[in-house]
Amino acid sequence: MDSVAERFSKWILIFGAALLLGSAGIAQVTSKTAASATSSGAEGGINLALKGRCSEALPILKKAVAQVTDKKLKYDVLMSIVHCAMGLEQTETAVRTLLELSRNFPQDPEVLYLSTHYYSDLALRASHELAAIAPLSPQAQQLEAEAFESQGDWDKAITQYRMILERNPQRHGIHYRLGRLFLTKTPADSENAKKELAEELKTDPGSAASEFLLGEIARQSGQWEDAIVHFEKAAKLDEGFTEAYLALGMSRNSAGKFTDAVAPLESYVKMQPDDPAGHYQLATAYARTGRRQDAQRQMALQQETAAKAPRTLAQP
Amino acid sequence: MTSGRSHHSGILSRRRFLQALGLAGIGSGICAPALFSIEPSLPSKTAFEEITSNISGIHWTHVSGRSPMAHLPETVGAGCAFLDYDNDGWMDIYLVNSGPCDFYEPPSPLHNALYRNNRDGSFTDVTQRAGVLGNAYGMGVAVGDYDGDGFPDLYITQYPNSILYHNNGDGTFTDVTAKAGVAAPGWATSAVWFDYDNDGRLDLFVCRFVDYSKAKVKFCGDLITGERHYCIPSIYDPMPCWLFHNNGDGTFTDVSRESGIGQSRAKAWGAVAADLDNDGRMDLYVTNDTVANFLFANRGKGRFEEIGVMSGVGVSGFGKPRSGMGVDAADYDQDGWIDLFEANVDQEMYSLYHNEKDEGFTDAANPNGIGVATRLMSGWGLKFLDYDNDGDIDLLLCNGHPDDTVEKRIEGVKFREPMLLFRNTGKGFENASLQSGSIFSKPLAARGLALGDFDNDGAVDLLVSQNNGPPVLLRNLAGRENHWLGIRLVGTKANIDAIGAKVTYQSGGLQRHQFKVGGGSYLSSHDPRMVLGLGQRTKVDWLEVEWPQPSGRKERFTDLPIGRYITIVEGQGKWK
Repeated sequence: MDSVAERFSKWILIFGAALLLGSAGIAQVTSKTAASATSSGAEGGINLALKGRCSEALPILKKAVAQVTDKKLKYDVLMSIVHCAMGLEQTETAVRTLLELSRNFPQDPEVLYLSTHYYSDLALRASHELAAIAPLSPQAQQLEAEAFESQGDWDKAITQYRMILERNPQRHGIHYRLGRLFLTKTPADSENAKKELAEELKTDPGSAASEFLLGEIARQSGQWEDAIVHFEKAAKLDEGFTEAYLALGMSRNSAGKFTDAVAPLESYVKMQPDDPAGHYQLATAYARTGRRQDAQRQMALQQETAAKAPRTLAQP
Repeated sequence: MTSGRSHHSGILSRRRFLQALGLAGIGSGICAPALFSIEPSLPSKTAFEEITSNISGIHWTHVSGRSPMAHLPETVGAGCAFLDYDNDGWMDIYLVNSGPCDFYEPPSPLHNALYRNNRDGSFTDVTQRAGVLGNAYGMGVAVGDYDGDGFPDLYITQYPNSILYHNNGDGTFTDVTAKAGVAAPGWATSAVWFDYDNDGRLDLFVCRFVDYSKAKVKFCGDLITGERHYCIPSIYDPMPCWLFHNNGDGTFTDVSRESGIGQSRAKAWGAVAADLDNDGRMDLYVTNDTVANFLFANRGKGRFEEIGVMSGVGVSGFGKPRSGMGVDAADYDQDGWIDLFEANVDQEMYSLYHNEKDEGFTDAANPNGIGVATRLMSGWGLKFLDYDNDGDIDLLLCNGHPDDTVEKRIEGVKFREPMLLFRNTGKGFENASLQSGSIFSKPLAARGLALGDFDNDGAVDLLVSQNNGPPVLLRNLAGRENHWLGIRLVGTKANIDAIGAKVTYQSGGLQRHQFKVGGGSYLSSHDPRMVLGLGQRTKVDWLEVEWPQPSGRKERFTDLPIGRYITIVEGQGKWK
């Protein structure tokens, strides 16, 4: 089933196509440094890599990297290793080195750029393998559906998800994905979303995510009690589901149950101290239960975190 | 680990998903059914009909001066007003236009417009004779009789300086800005006349937007093509608003700093003055764009305390500032406490803030279907009004995205958007837009909204100003189906426009009250008269006016007519 890989590859094709450009950029960056290099082992390895003699360069570079203390040189050595490992299809070496680059140079745009392309390339390869090995598997079909979804081709994605359910009605997560997809459409379809999420809970009563989305549908309609029930279930099913605590607290605040809102919101701000939403809602709950000083403290945190938070898509 | 966790780990990161949708931004999903489905229980009847320019005689058009530089003021104006400038009992119309400034030189002269009501549904342009052309890049208009001579005066907000036109009472106006000291340098937007210190004179609050000039313009757009779109104002610096105290001699004193108003740096679009805590002092609610909204609680002795965020009207439920634009205040649920409304841009939803009577507010937009219906909308002019005269206060919203390139960038969001009408059922609001006439499916680049009964039939009509387009005049047909009583209040000890008055009336089993707020909507000003809806009832048993401070007097009237306007002058004990 070649179409699996073909279709999935559409959304990551651009990454793969740009990989060569990315590599060229790396070579360019590296060459600037290498030009000033002397005769150390590391620099020799870099020079070999630049000449395309990666088979010779790689052992030298791997040996040298542990001994290099200069940060800039280390960066160039690691970049050269990645470049060569990718060219020689030494996946393990490439991935390991990319991880090391990410650890040592987490803010470096070039590292992030290269990582994006390489991991995308790996994903593309894996999808090809999946298509070749098990083209009719639910996993392959799900991947295809997700590819459609990522392209915004909702109708094809829905059809694909339905095909999975025809063959495997009990497969977990598919009704949830359909529900989420109905909500993502413009205009969205909350009624069908609710049906799918309810179906998901029949096949997988432990789906905290489905409970959460059902809660959100209720919350956005101002059906606070219904929302509270779903969010309570979501938080109970998954104690690490931070947003469920926030949504539960928000809904309880909206319902005027300020005392009940305090506990989930206190949990939330502990888990997500950088989110102004938690502080704001907790401040509201405190203020409305007479805890003026606590409220003011939370309000100060809200302002502090809101000022730091990047402006993302607007939130209601 | 529960299976739930295994699931949401596979949903490409729950947090990212939630952020992308606005905490599971499923509102976009619920929006369409709420907006476009027609409830079978609601009859379809044209509530408002558009009066064409051929009939109205209003041929003036707003010119934005849209430029490749995408200057922010180009997309946000301008306002409009109903006012009776010649005191003949018929509402006239004022429209604000752009004009020359450092970033714009109109190819041909532009001016504001004053249209006199011909009392037959048409209007005559009297701008030149009246001398109210404006002289810069116009934004809004606030009408108030600041000198108490019985003739309404005009305050025109502009960039980079505003104008106060004194009404001479003979059909002409005089620019008294310099003498009055109310030029408010900078980019002024909405303005409100109200008596903040209860001395019986109308003071002036002026919203100020960001620190803007041609030299400070920033680039927002496509870095490759160089094409600009209108910036989100977060990249510009906020500026404090203005509060001018009326000295009673034709001059004003800038009290922005000592009142506390100037301590809060704003990016203000809309403002409404109302006594939100029933303490006899007028408070101010100010909507800001990318800055938390302000609730200036009037603490007396000329001081305001900003309590917006703590009171629940400053930021979204997610603790972040939104793009607050249009605003209004009214006691929609008749519990005796004035509630608030705020419009925002798409993805943010609008908010209906219910007054919890303790300086706290709760957003009731979602239970009333307003949140989901406005998910993709951007709101400017808006007003609470009893459009069908059934005694319940309804809500009208004018919309349009500020960026004319938005359709290329955000799916489902339009530059021109239809108006929305929410009908108060007595139990809450229901979206009555599509049952109320074709105007509610007509895409508009709406900005200002003014209410006014231009044909004196007791059904409050609408004037909607459009960005870079002609105004839309709408005649209310729905209000004619019910009975009504219109009142004009004239303060003597209280401020002459009776801003802050409360009117309570009884008609059979119906008891209702209305507060007269200052300002509201966006860049616009309204018919100063109040219309009391009676439904099918044919008698007003009694009517009580509670005059604002420093009067505070309560006057009760009986033997009242219906189906006409009356005037009540404070302290005379009678109506005429």
